[in-house]
Amino acid sequence: MTSLSRRAFAAAATAALLGGCGGGHGNGRSTAGRPGSTTPSARPSAEPVRVLARSVPVGLEIPAIGVDTPVIRLGLAPDRTVQVPPVTAHDRAGWYRHSPTPGQIGPSVILGHVTVGRHGDGVFRHLARLRPGDGIVARLENGTAAVFAVDSVRTVAKADFPTDAVYGDVGRPELRLITCGGPRTGDEYRDNVIVFARA
Amino acid sequence: MRRTVLSATALACTAVLASTTPALADSPSPVPAATVAPSESSAPADATEPSPVPAEDDAPDRSTAPGEVAVVPSGAPDTGVASAESGADGALIGGSAAAVLTAGGAAVLLVRRRRATTA
Repeated sequence: MTSLSRRAFAAAATAALLGGCGGGHGNGRSTAGRPGSTTPSARPSAEPVRVLARSVPVGLEIPAIGVDTPVIRLGLAPDRTVQVPPVTAHDRAGWYRHSPTPGQIGPSVILGHVTVGRHGDGVFRHLARLRPGDGIVARLENGTAAVFAVDSVRTVAKADFPTDAVYGDVGRPELRLITCGGPRTGDEYRDNVIVFARA
Repeated sequence: MRRTVLSATALACTAVLASTTPALADSPSPVPAATVAPSESSAPADATEPSPVPAEDDAPDRSTAPGEVAVVPSGAPDTGVASAESGADGALIGGSAAAVLTAGGAAVLLVRRRRATTA
């Protein structure tokens, strides 16, 4: 009797173990490549920078994370926060139209979703994977392109959003890419992932 | 006795298959359905409205700019809508685990009962 019960328990334990492995596999996407720490800046800027004529961005390419997206224009929401792109399948990035156009002096700000609800991954799903030196190309309406290199990637709590670092004057053409990140509470993410890039 | 052991094992394996199949089938493809055609002109009902302002309207904002960014927004952007599927995934996984444990317990009870009746 004791031997039989032991076998039955072994079978049940094996079943539970296999069931647990299956569940973990199904949920694997939620942990894919999410560095949560701040990547320090490491790129010096010695060469002279070319300032481009004003032309709104119409496309954005980030080869390191497979992003090639149209860019729409965003303004301010009624509560004075920045608008974000629509939550749709095949969502796009959006340029904050009160910031400089890419290639002009100042921080040009482009935002995109990390996830778009039931539609799955957002256009900036893997933004946190960028590393210093990775290239970013903003295609402009006049046919030219502004080329940037990632300077640093920061993950910061939304409660401590670094407004000055993102929107403050920089005296040269720079780019900010912003999405959400960090742990989720309900439908919301706790943090913002911000990529700082220089021309 | 051997038949009893085999029946218990078969029951446990059935529980494993029944519980893991939904979880694997739910392994989501993060790629949205190909039938959804992106459209530049139409926004869905649940979408946050993008700015429809043409490029010419940007110029006045820049002329009144005190800094390089003409109007600094307040707060942090909300650029992530968590998938409702993630909660469903968790519930499904939890349910599957509970089903497996329940099936295992049932197998143990079945074996014990059969053993008691045959003894």
